[in-house]
Amino acid sequence: MAVLEVRNLKKSFDSTEVIHDISFSMDEGETVTIIGSSGSGKTTLLRCLNFLETPDAGVIKVRDDVLFDSSIPESRSEEAIRKKRLHFGLVFQSFNLFPQYTALENITLAPTLLAREDKSIDATLIENRAKELLSDMGLSDRMGNYPHELSGGQQQRVAIARALAMNPDILCFDEPTSALDPELTGEVLRVIRGLAKQHTTMIIVTHEMSFAKDVSDKIIFMDKGIIAEEGSPEEVIDNPKNERTVQFLANYKKVN
Amino acid sequence: MFQTVTLTLLEGFLQTLRLFVLTLVFSLPLGLIISFGSMSKISIIKAPVRFVIWVIRGTPLMLQLLVIYYGPGIIFHANVWGSGDGGRFIAALVAFVINYSCYFSEIYRGGIQSIPAGQYEAGQVLGMTKHQIFFKVVLLQVIKRIVPPISNEIITLVKDTSLARVIAVYEIIWEGQSFIKSAGIIWPLFYTGVFYLLFSGLLTILFGHIEKKLSYFR
Repeated sequence: MAVLEVRNLKKSFDSTEVIHDISFSMDEGETVTIIGSSGSGKTTLLRCLNFLETPDAGVIKVRDDVLFDSSIPESRSEEAIRKKRLHFGLVFQSFNLFPQYTALENITLAPTLLAREDKSIDATLIENRAKELLSDMGLSDRMGNYPHELSGGQQQRVAIARALAMNPDILCFDEPTSALDPELTGEVLRVIRGLAKQHTTMIIVTHEMSFAKDVSDKIIFMDKGIIAEEGSPEEVIDNPKNERTVQFLANYKKVN
Repeated sequence: MFQTVTLTLLEGFLQTLRLFVLTLVFSLPLGLIISFGSMSKISIIKAPVRFVIWVIRGTPLMLQLLVIYYGPGIIFHANVWGSGDGGRFIAALVAFVINYSCYFSEIYRGGIQSIPAGQYEAGQVLGMTKHQIFFKVVLLQVIKRIVPPISNEIITLVKDTSLARVIAVYEIIWEGQSFIKSAGIIWPLFYTGVFYLLFSGLLTILFGHIEKKLSYFR
């Protein structure tokens, strides 16, 4: 059964159509990578899935549960969206850790607030779970540090732990290494690779082509707001059929 | 003589202090409400609020004091301030509160708008409510950013209170100046300066302390 199903998603800003009719689905435990040039709508697609943008049209379903349907006005209300967005987690390009909280507090803040309104959550487990996640990220010795005391790579790993702490069905990454220098990129990619091995369901927007190739179950190539090509890494990266994909990959190889 | 002067100046300083404290008590929260108005997405709220801020920040406080004190009586023939010292003090307080609320509102607005959108978005994707995002994530960052400009403004207020004498509120400089006429001595005026220096020095230390307290994050 598909864990995520997106149908006929559309999004415009003013008169510019950024996402022009996108449909795709993914299975539990899959890693899907979205590639494509800047302005192709990759980030906007992720932001729609996380309800940071409201799609103009389309349907978003998680495990057959309709989270968003543009034809049902109630699914657009703010309160409805707040609960439903927890099906998704998002790791930002610029980390966006909360500067006044330690690494550990960054992770425990949202679950603690949620436990206050949802009594079925055991608040006593939150801290231990956060510590566990930090140690998975190789940051056991950094729990008490504030974001400004951490390197970019460490901050991004805290951000990944923070997203995982909400137990999302699908974890999204928006160019998670674009703000990092090459040395720090490696440590973040290693963590994401580890998550892929444990079959965490993930959607990753990235420009790291070789990483995309060996971590993905499926690659989606976006161009001008549509999915121009999708398939296994071998199909899309090694034997692209679409002319735009060929062009994009050729330009990419030239630069590298 | 020294004792007489000290006691008189203390009396004036008490008036200065009352005006200072009461102005802050009202204008700090009122400024926040005005800043929300000036950031409103609804233009029938935003436009008039911005207009008032422009007028208040664009004209001298001295002028505002005079207009607020004399205006109601002369234009509307209404004695809104009551009579005597108490009435003049209230008029001065109203003028100070309006003036400083507008200045504070601009500092708040700058502070709130300087917080990157990513902070709000991170809170949103973690399922926090708008209320939680403001109080748990944004507020302390805003406070940290506005402490230096606010403290600057508050120290200016210490000295601005002396303008209240224009409508005969007997603050410390008024009292100090009275000795020129009555005793022909000028040193009480210098003495008033000492009061100001000590008080603003105290505030500087206090704000330095707050800034240091908030320096644990960036």
